[in-house]
Amino acid sequence: MSVIKKPDLTDPKLRAKLAKGMGHNYYGEPAWPNDLLYVFPVCILGTFACCIGLAVMAPTQMGEPADPFNTPLEILPEWYFFPTFNLLRVLPNKLLGVLAMARVPAGLITVPFIENVNKFQNPFRRPIASLVFILGFFTAVWLGIGACLPIDKAVSLGFW
Amino acid sequence: YPVFAQQGYSNPRAANGKLACANCHLNQKAIEIEAPQAVLPNSVFEVTVKVPYDTTRQQVGANGKKADLNVGGIVILPKGFKLAAKNQIPAEVKAKNKGVFISPYSTEFDNILIVGPIAGKTHQELIFPVVSPDPEKDSDVKYLTYPLYAGGNRGRGQVYPTGEKSNINSFGAVQAGQISEITTSEKGESNITIINSDGVKTSQIIPAGLTLTVKQGDSVKVDQSLNIDPNVGGFGQEETEIVLQNPLRIIGYLGFCFCVLLTQVLLIIKKKQFEKVQAAELNF
Repeated sequence: MSVIKKPDLTDPKLRAKLAKGMGHNYYGEPAWPNDLLYVFPVCILGTFACCIGLAVMAPTQMGEPADPFNTPLEILPEWYFFPTFNLLRVLPNKLLGVLAMARVPAGLITVPFIENVNKFQNPFRRPIASLVFILGFFTAVWLGIGACLPIDKAVSLGFW
Repeated sequence: YPVFAQQGYSNPRAANGKLACANCHLNQKAIEIEAPQAVLPNSVFEVTVKVPYDTTRQQVGANGKKADLNVGGIVILPKGFKLAAKNQIPAEVKAKNKGVFISPYSTEFDNILIVGPIAGKTHQELIFPVVSPDPEKDSDVKYLTYPLYAGGNRGRGQVYPTGEKSNINSFGAVQAGQISEITTSEKGESNITIINSDGVKTSQIIPAGLTLTVKQGDSVKVDQSLNIDPNVGGFGQEETEIVLQNPLRIIGYLGFCFCVLLTQVLLIIKKKQFEKVQAAELNF
């Protein structure tokens, strides 16, 4: 198959690096020119073809002209705001809603500090960070779906 | 009836997106649109509005008797799109649309098509044959993505444009009090008399065919419903997108894709060739 360089284990410098968990780019397929010159353009051209394909097959829609006196039937922000938008509309108090929104980045910022005692980088060995991510992701998707439903199903999604 | 909208609204789609039909048909029931993702200029295609409902349900007719539900639909096409002429419609669509009369909304909005009321049992799919405009001939039309709105309804309306309730609605008590008398006329109308605590008597008529939920001697609150809501139908609206596609763009894109593919293949072949040199010279 392709050209693979074997690690030179007689080299003390490489051994020292490998012992620290580094130096993996000193062996394997050479970056230049095998990867950078020949395979990178293949991927770049592939992305170009995809983007241009989208531009040709599904051009951007001309929206309706803006009108400040016209409230749409369904008020929804951009999709990435769905979870926080749902928080804001479900919580009865506006201040509470804004605080709940502020809690999201504030809570996420504290995670690395709380788990700072942990010396591992592997996500499987960082239980707090991983759990916060999984729970947060699940909650965000749940609330995001809820934002598209009527207000009485906003939290339960109609399951109860 | 679509004609009520035609009389009352020059444009049946309000600025906030609400279709005029929803003003009389008060229930909400979902519909589906089926339209091609992209169409070429000057081509005939079908926009299908699916109006599903349980065909075993019956509603109260205008005469107070049980009747089957009718369906109707509206499609708001982008400007320039029109109802296809008779000789342009393919034969199978013609056969399916036998007896269905689709008409443009008005002379100003010939891009809005309406149909109905037609028998719902046989027409749960409303097929609108449409012809797309040609940007070469009409400079107002561009090759773009356009929004497409559609609405579909089953069952009769609950209110008339004048605001009066039709006989397929729930009627509320005009005042709080006790029901002193319920009489039924020959036509089947019920006349309900309510006396309030001050002794003031009111009487109101519930149209024939409706099932009363109250009986003589009951005490009712203001606006408490006196009959079971007979409305089994409902109106739904949906929107989708349609692309007016330039055939030259497709051909150009296919050519571009071919060039990309060729370049990619050549790059990989060149890499394989170079790897042979590397392996032979042991230089890597």
